Amino acid sequence: MGAEPTAQELKDLVAEFEPGKGHLLPALHRVQETYGYISRDAIEAVARQLNTTPALVYGCVTFYADFRTHRPPETEITWCSGPACRLAGGERIREAIEHTLELPLGGHSDDGRYGLHLGQCVGTCHESPQVWVNGEVRGGLTVAGAIRLAREVKAAE
Amino acid sequence: MNACLQPIIDEAKRAWAAEQASGRVKITVTLDTSSIARGAEQTIAAIRDVAAKKKLDVDLSITGSWGFCWAEPTLTVRTAAGTRTVLYANVTADRVEELLEKTVVEGSDLPALAVGVVEGNATPEIPLLAEHPFMHGQVRRLMANLGLTDPENITHYLAHGGYEGFGRALEMDPEAIVKEVLDSGLGGRAGGGFPAGRKWDFLRTATAEPRYLVCNADEGDPGAWVNRVLMEGDPQLIVEGMLIAALAANARWGYIYVRYEYPLAVRRMQIAVDQAREKGLLGENILGTGKDFDLVVFKGAGAYVCGEETGLINSIDGYRGMPRIKPPFPAQAGLWNKPTNVNNVESYANAPLIMREGSAWWSSVSDAREKGTKMFTFSGAVKQPCCVEIPFGPKVRDVLMQYAGGPASDRPIKGFQPGGPLSGVVAASGLDLTLTLDPYRELGLFLGGGGIVFFDDSACTVDLCRYFLSFAEDESCGRCTTCRGGTQRAVEVLRRIQSGGGHVGDFERLEGLVRWLVYSNCFHGQFAMTTVKTALKQFRAEWVEHIEEKRCRARVCPGLFEYRVKAQGDAKLAEAKDICPTGAIAEEGGKYSVVDSLCIRCDACREVAPAAMELRDRAVVPVVAGAAAG
Repeated sequence: MGAEPTAQELKDLVAEFEPGKGHLLPALHRVQETYGYISRDAIEAVARQLNTTPALVYGCVTFYADFRTHRPPETEITWCSGPACRLAGGERIREAIEHTLELPLGGHSDDGRYGLHLGQCVGTCHESPQVWVNGEVRGGLTVAGAIRLAREVKAAE
Repeated sequence: MNACLQPIIDEAKRAWAAEQASGRVKITVTLDTSSIARGAEQTIAAIRDVAAKKKLDVDLSITGSWGFCWAEPTLTVRTAAGTRTVLYANVTADRVEELLEKTVVEGSDLPALAVGVVEGNATPEIPLLAEHPFMHGQVRRLMANLGLTDPENITHYLAHGGYEGFGRALEMDPEAIVKEVLDSGLGGRAGGGFPAGRKWDFLRTATAEPRYLVCNADEGDPGAWVNRVLMEGDPQLIVEGMLIAALAANARWGYIYVRYEYPLAVRRMQIAVDQAREKGLLGENILGTGKDFDLVVFKGAGAYVCGEETGLINSIDGYRGMPRIKPPFPAQAGLWNKPTNVNNVESYANAPLIMREGSAWWSSVSDAREKGTKMFTFSGAVKQPCCVEIPFGPKVRDVLMQYAGGPASDRPIKGFQPGGPLSGVVAASGLDLTLTLDPYRELGLFLGGGGIVFFDDSACTVDLCRYFLSFAEDESCGRCTTCRGGTQRAVEVLRRIQSGGGHVGDFERLEGLVRWLVYSNCFHGQFAMTTVKTALKQFRAEWVEHIEEKRCRARVCPGLFEYRVKAQGDAKLAEAKDICPTGAIAEEGGKYSVVDSLCIRCDACREVAPAAMELRDRAVVPVVAGAAAG
């Protein structure tokens, strides 16, 4: 993940994908794995490659929760929305983190340093309530612990 | 047996035997998403470090889940002579040195971490694993290789009966394969229970070409991870099952649609498919039989509604995952409008067992109408979140006590959700229901894909309803007004009730939504209100309290209770003030108070100053705008 890709780089990145073969999601995954998100230019490149419209591609990018249209933050707290976490106080943890970071779920700071993301249950319910910090699980959280974690993330340079 | 397959299997068996006879101690660590969350990767690193430091010669390999998710990391240690294997749990990295010292250096056991003896004799301290209460009553067929074989090595699978079922199917007509599956009574494992054999027959008798198979591994139900355990633990079982279905229905291509949130399952399925292809079990002219079939591992992108089969098909096709209007059914027009069969992971995974051992053996395990075994995961307010494989039929109370270890605390179990956010809720009186499909259908709900979530009386029914409806609202594809608008409306009403604006008309409003949402196109909208429908019946008193008395007995609904400082002198109060994320605790001249309008009821203050803070019913519930108007 670095500088913005050129049109040629995007074209080359998705060159192997073909129209009518179920390649839209794989192409979008390829873009996101390479650049961290799917830019407007990438949407156009994928649409051209798959012989479809940018509108259709954009529709898909925004339909699926895990495609991003913005660069991911440097530090991301992913909050588990699963039922075991909910029963163990997950909703209170979400509210507390949102207020600490001053961000809604799905938001990120203006400078892109930190953000808050909605995570789905993956069945690590023995760790409930949990969040992931850049993919690493922080389980058995208390609300106070979550607030301290969020404050650390917010204060880190 | 096919002339090309037999040598592959024989060679795998020789390789496995040679591995077992290495003369070294063998440590096999469960490496899946659950164990990784509890530090299994660090444990493996520690084993390598300690073994190198102490110059110990051990074989180290990985395997799938034993089901002891709450006690990960788990691992087995097999003696150098190969006569004794012991399962250990909670082996975090800091316990590795002690474990290796005891087991490898001294050649004895470490009873403190031992769960049971897998192979060999029990000792006074360590009973046989088969006699462990968690294993008792389990029939591990799908999970037979989990704990034993390396999921990233097809040789291990082939050495344990793998592809023997496929070998038998190769010698049968498609009709005979379908008949065998029909005879077994295998029903769809995602909750529908529709006979898998009949589905395969629809595809077999379809007229258009090519035909497609799809494996629905978009396990989106929060609180369910049975498919994940299987894909991460024995992915070849799914590959072989789809191969057998391909023979039965003459399919050319198969897709395994795995949800985005399961990267390890995606990786292991891909490895499994690649290895099967290398062995000539996938691709063109499979084992010289002239049959062609190949598999694509397809990664989803985060959409619950893609678990609906036509939504999933649209997603592979390259559209938004919006369920289609049926008919036509997938067997007539699915992927690219060609005949397609969609089955759940577990449905396919049972096929190799049926073909290998025969339908009579397969269906003999269960007394219930539903045949075979089913994997379940239990979570929520339980001591032991876990994954088990059992025959259909036991009572929910029994599995709660035996496998999930009972309630997590002294609080009584208030109810459970039988399978996903659309499945409804059952009160504690339903703990005597059996784990079969019918009792839930009769109550207007359903037993879903296998994720059962228990809740105790710290949970509020209204809040649970809002939680599941918010999920349904978020995940609605937006096609039907009933679902898109109905779930939004339900969430609005529930939020208003939770903030103290409940109105007697809300019963009728919610019941109206229950009646209207069933007109939606797909399961998502049709069942979105199941939680509210069942909760209104089973927990009526709690709704009356919320709506009429403005009281939440579980103290969850934010508008119906408040925080108060009860002990001014408490030394922890300064810390409570400091932790509050909204500055809702004010201090003036050493006297603390809660500013109710700022308080978000996150409970952080009470966590740090439990003796100083208290909850109480709200003295005056403010008038909420719009309550009277609806």
